[in-house]
Amino acid sequence: MDSKAVGQSKWGRSRFGGGSGALIAVSLSAGAVLSAGAGVLFARLNAPEHFVLAALLMAAGLLPVLSTACWALLLDRDTLRGATRNPEISVESQWYDRAAIGVFQDLLLVCGLGGAVFSFIQIQASLGLVLAGVVLLALLDFGIRYFIIKRAES
Amino acid sequence: MENNLSAYRRERGFSQQALADLLGVSRQTVISLEKGRYDPSLPLAFKLSAVFGCKIEDLFIPGED
Repeated sequence: MDSKAVGQSKWGRSRFGGGSGALIAVSLSAGAVLSAGAGVLFARLNAPEHFVLAALLMAAGLLPVLSTACWALLLDRDTLRGATRNPEISVESQWYDRAAIGVFQDLLLVCGLGGAVFSFIQIQASLGLVLAGVVLLALLDFGIRYFIIKRAES
Repeated sequence: MENNLSAYRRERGFSQQALADLLGVSRQTVISLEKGRYDPSLPLAFKLSAVFGCKIEDLFIPGED
């Protein structure tokens, strides 16, 4: 059996060493730098007349997302409390795959039918808004499918 | 697929959580395996046979097609 004795904690530790505190501090710092950069870029391109307000709002919106992304990238998942050693052979991995396959098929259907319908109806929409809608739909679809599979097979 | 996992586990005195920890999988995986709702991958089947010291075909009974 492959066993790996590692100390686990709620927030885990970085794959580059250090404790949970260091991981959180680095994640928050990197998230702050990245979101500030994105905020400045957004404000310069889209709202030069309200530069500071636009930059602050965009940075505030992105900070939790980018900090969490940095934490996920830096985390050594074996140090996270409750993490299993072999998630790829756990039943949850099969549920994930089945839900993802369903979402892929749904997206093909929705985007295909949507593309066909909107080629006849001339409606203009922001590309960013449409893509965000597609992502939200995929996430919602995945959540519902995963929940249904889990309920049926638990 | 039917299996004898539950009987083997009880015989060895393992709880579902203890077996899951030995295999490095979730407890839900052990529950689903024992209920026959999850057919294990080959690596997991080999891990199970190693834990119980038996052959894979002693643990799992293939269904008739």
